[in-house]
Amino acid sequence: MTITAEPSYDDVQMVVEEVWSSFLGAEEPLLPAAPAELSVGWSAAVTVSGEWHGMVSVELPTGLAEEVTRRMLAVDETFDEDVADAVGELVNMIGGNVKSLMPGPSVLSLPVVAAGRVARPSDAVEVCRLDASWAGNPLQVSVQVLNAKNRGDA
Amino acid sequence: MKILVADDSRVMRQIVIRTLRQAGYAGHDIVEAENGREALEKVHSEAPDLVLSDWNMPEMNGIDLLAALRSSGSSVPFGFVTSEGSADMRARASAGGALFLIAKPFTPEAFDEALAPVLRG
Repeated sequence: MTITAEPSYDDVQMVVEEVWSSFLGAEEPLLPAAPAELSVGWSAAVTVSGEWHGMVSVELPTGLAEEVTRRMLAVDETFDEDVADAVGELVNMIGGNVKSLMPGPSVLSLPVVAAGRVARPSDAVEVCRLDASWAGNPLQVSVQVLNAKNRGDA
Repeated sequence: MKILVADDSRVMRQIVIRTLRQAGYAGHDIVEAENGREALEKVHSEAPDLVLSDWNMPEMNGIDLLAALRSSGSSVPFGFVTSEGSADMRARASAGGALFLIAKPFTPEAFDEALAPVLRG
């Protein structure tokens, strides 16, 4: 049986805020923002497979992805390889913590990172979306449940 | 002392090394590995005093690394630094012989609490 539970908006917000304040500095808070169409420069996703099947993704404009990378690495100059690494690690932390909130056992995938928007599986249903703003830049975190019927293991 | 930091993310290895300094553990020799297989080789070639390992890595993950170390006779002190801090993962880490599991995101205080018994003796 597949569990179709979903994390609450408050839980996802708490996870994202904790990641942000721990690694990007508490002096610049992550603020809730109105839903907006993002100009996605970088995105990343992880999937959770097991008792709960889902996908967690993060989408950032290029400038924000680069600033996140500068903060995480404590450097002034960024290279695409570092940005991909930093954005992947962001979604790994957020996804790992979302996984811990959901029924287990399950397995977390390695992150998939894209310059642009990571394609979502056609059976993905978004159950939680966090629109936020950091240092004046918008970002989105999304949690999607993957439909068991199309995986052949339901 | 020598600390081996295993994580497939260079960004996270840098954050772990920075957090070690912030937690008061500056001055230790640091060895880095990009996955469990490389970490396994470096435990034998570098003889670290402590391994800090991610769980989810390509090639060989952290729990398989720990199992390979113990089955090869290594008793090097081992702790996880991972985004997955559920009770299930902590139980698996402990059963495998890990001393602690630090969940990402972490603070220097969390590092000190976990590492003090190992590094401050």
